[in-house]
Amino acid sequence: MLEQLLIFTRGGLILWTCKELGNALRGSPIDTLIRSCLLEERSGAASYNYDAPGAAYTLKWTFHNELGLVFVAVYQRILHLLYVDDLLAMVKQGFSEIYDPKRMVYDDFDETFRQLRMEAEARTNELKKTKQVGKPLNNARKQGQDQKTGFGENKKSNSGLADDGDAERTKGHKLENGYSNGNHVIESKLTAVVNGKENTSSNVGAFDVNKLQKLRSKGGKKTDPVANKGSKEEPKKKVTKKNRVWDEKPTEAKLDFTDPVGENGDNNIDVLAADQGQSMMDKEEVFSSDSEDEEDEEGDKGSKPDAKKKGWFSSMFQSISGKASLDKADLEPALKALKDRLMTKNVAEEIAEKLCESVAASLEGKKLASFTRISSTVQAAMEEALVRILTPRRSIDILRDVHAAKEQKKPYVVVFVGVNGVGKSTNLAKVAYWLLQHKVSVMMAACDTFRSGAVEQLRTHARRLQIPIFEKGYEKDPAVVAKEAIQEASRNGSDVVLVDTAGRMQDNEPLMRALSKLINLNSPDLVLFVGEALVGNDAVDQLSKFNQKLADLSTSPEPRLIDGILLTKFDTIDDKVGAALSMVYISGAPVMFVGCGQSYTDLKKLNVKSIVKTLIK
Amino acid sequence: MEGTEQWKVQVEQLKVQMEQWLEQGLEFVHQIPPIQLYVGVGVLLFTTLLLLFTRLFKRRKSNTIVLSGLSGSGKTILFYQLRDGSSHQGTVTSMEPNEGTFVLHSEIAKKDKLKPVHLVDVPGHSRLRAKLDDFLPQAAGVVFVVDALDFLPNCRAASEYLYDILTNASVVKKKIPVLILCNKTDKVTAHTKEFINRQMEKEIDKLRVSRSAISAADIANDFTLGIPGKAFSFTQCHNKVAVAEASGLTGEVSEVEQFIRENVKF
Ligand SMILES: Nc1nc2c(ncn2[C@@H]2O[C@H](COP(=O)(O)OP(=O)(O)OP(=O)(O)O)[C@@H](O)[C@H]2O)c(=O)[nH]1
Ligand SMILES: [Mg+2]
Repeated sequence: MLEQLLIFTRGGLILWTCKELGNALRGSPIDTLIRSCLLEERSGAASYNYDAPGAAYTLKWTFHNELGLVFVAVYQRILHLLYVDDLLAMVKQGFSEIYDPKRMVYDDFDETFRQLRMEAEARTNELKKTKQVGKPLNNARKQGQDQKTGFGENKKSNSGLADDGDAERTKGHKLENGYSNGNHVIESKLTAVVNGKENTSSNVGAFDVNKLQKLRSKGGKKTDPVANKGSKEEPKKKVTKKNRVWDEKPTEAKLDFTDPVGENGDNNIDVLAADQGQSMMDKEEVFSSDSEDEEDEEGDKGSKPDAKKKGWFSSMFQSISGKASLDKADLEPALKALKDRLMTKNVAEEIAEKLCESVAASLEGKKLASFTRISSTVQAAMEEALVRILTPRRSIDILRDVHAAKEQKKPYVVVFVGVNGVGKSTNLAKVAYWLLQHKVSVMMAACDTFRSGAVEQLRTHARRLQIPIFEKGYEKDPAVVAKEAIQEASRNGSDVVLVDTAGRMQDNEPLMRALSKLINLNSPDLVLFVGEALVGNDAVDQLSKFNQKLADLSTSPEPRLIDGILLTKFDTIDDKVGAALSMVYISGAPVMFVGCGQSYTDLKKLNVKSIVKTLIK
Repeated sequence: MEGTEQWKVQVEQLKVQMEQWLEQGLEFVHQIPPIQLYVGVGVLLFTTLLLLFTRLFKRRKSNTIVLSGLSGSGKTILFYQLRDGSSHQGTVTSMEPNEGTFVLHSEIAKKDKLKPVHLVDVPGHSRLRAKLDDFLPQAAGVVFVVDALDFLPNCRAASEYLYDILTNASVVKKKIPVLILCNKTDKVTAHTKEFINRQMEKEIDKLRVSRSAISAADIANDFTLGIPGKAFSFTQCHNKVAVAEASGLTGEVSEVEQFIRENVKF
């Protein structure tokens, strides 16, 4: 059951909502979708998950770029609605026919929508009957809720076919009301899939025993074989019949995606994208060889490959008159070129790819203006997207934060984290110097109790800058050292505590655990990730793993993640400024400082405009 | 290879055709009596000059009013309230600016011909703020919308945004007037404009110190606010900064309309 379907302009005016559905949405899923997905250049993703008290929605959307319209469908996540994509496409088509920018009320669309929805539902049912697909849902949910909101069409009874262990069985029994609709439960650890949906009478919910067993052994729990009771023989037959279908299913891979934490859409999307990124690795060669052709094409007014055949005149004409509307094939060459260019600037491949998808989504269907080439249109769109990404979402005015903390008579605590050898201590000293210049009293805390020499190194800086340092030697728990340092700072009235931590690789479990503990115990005001501007694809891995580990290992329900980034060695990279983009995109945290040299004064703010220029150039 | 051959042939053809046209054109000109020719050229020159002048003239007297403010403060609702006198079916977060040139809804009924206003609603999402720079240089006035209902949690962010506007080069140089509009006053729990005014002044006072800090780089703001050593007050700004109240949802927008009319004259 659809919760709501909205049509609104990119400017934000709602043009039409389905009054029939009429459900008041809980929280503000639409605003959240726009703010944290569509405006974050993630609109290339397939769906977005929204969680609020009492609501777990999935949102899907489509754009009509030429008319500047957005179509969003909201539904309960436990219902895996198969017809949503279909419906959205039809609604888009239907609505664009009657849309008039001057008109604000579209009550007559109600009827059209009702029909479209019925059509879409019917078509999906048809499809289901023929294909008998079973789709797993990718999150664990209690089955109790929302039983009644079914697919309307299949009310045939079936016993939920819970087969896996006691927990599952009891859950399955809750389904005995017969409206078992699309509730595929993946028990969080077990990853057991119970499928009780697409069942006409001939087709009782099916599942793949083999698959389940595999998954179960993975889960390492509950090894007892399938224990069906009651009328188990019949279902079993069907099960074997069904196996083949399951094997054909492309979505099967999703099964492995059980979310490590109960988490939000962003992470989901990241996981998905990481998957795509990998497969792109293989395709890389194709891309680079294509890029040569691409250069020629650009000279050729950047139009479609077969435009060459049409010759110079027609493509000239096209560029003067403006093309009817851009489609994927038109955009592809220009996007590929742009992606390659980003990658030569050291932007992680995965991110270049996602950005291009997002830009494509924003351009598809748009009219090309007169006297413009596709390549320049694409470039302009990309430029805007880059500015958006790099512009900090929140204020990066640390001094203001420091003053605010001072008013509350608390020291402002900054924890510097990062992998080995990126220049944490050096840049910590630079930040200290900068703070000193603005009449803020600073204290250092030597919490790198792991690498020998680390404390001495920091002590040298402290002496040179003439600021106090809190140290407890090595072999101490850094979390405790930090705590004592903060207490000391409160006593002696320091405004800021800069906490140096040991460099650690993102995969080092024990060290990551220690870091998580330090952050949880001391709840710093700022967790600053120090990263080298030299890194390429590794930037993504480092930052996402740091964040992931901090989230996983956190004991509180709202884990502290990385708040900001300090980019080091910025003076050594010429125009390869891609790391800044990769890091900001993957973490959502702004670049707060840029280290660009050996002396204490070599600390800068990121100049967004010049970075974007360099990236695009 | 083939392509270039084809291309050459095409160019050849084109050349021939051009020459033909040129000859025809010349012949035609020779046939016209010279006086007519001069008059024609004169008229052509005159019209182009006239067009140019009107363009220049128009540009000097801007009619652009910019709606700015944090996301969710109610700009889009206000935009449609001013344009259509209705908030329609509500809004969601804007992804693009709303722009329009129109006579304000409340003035449509009036007899005297009023100059249409070019109203721009710039999304408040921080990722889209850069768009503001495109509109400020041509603005005749800036309305800074503040959510008076949910003010305290947003006070700092709103003040920072306002600080950026007040120190913007165009705003300072052209002394563009700014109206701080406390929106959503239909709700009883909304803060008063006096309170909001005071809080924002305090906040900006703190910002004065912390901004202008970080070394070199991004010199977005060359301008500083207020008088050093004195607590900041909006009266210290060289441009006019006023405070007003409104409710976009219920159509209580007379103070904004007044501001717009003061700054967009006939
Ligand atoms: N009570 C009340 N609510 C209002 C008023 N004006 C706007 N709102 C509500 O505030 C919310 C945001 O309004 P918008 O106009 O979309 O906000 P915006 O400033 O355009 O936000 P962005 O587009 O994100 O920059 C909507 O839910 C409105 O219903 C008002 O005068 N009173
Ligand atoms: Mg808006």
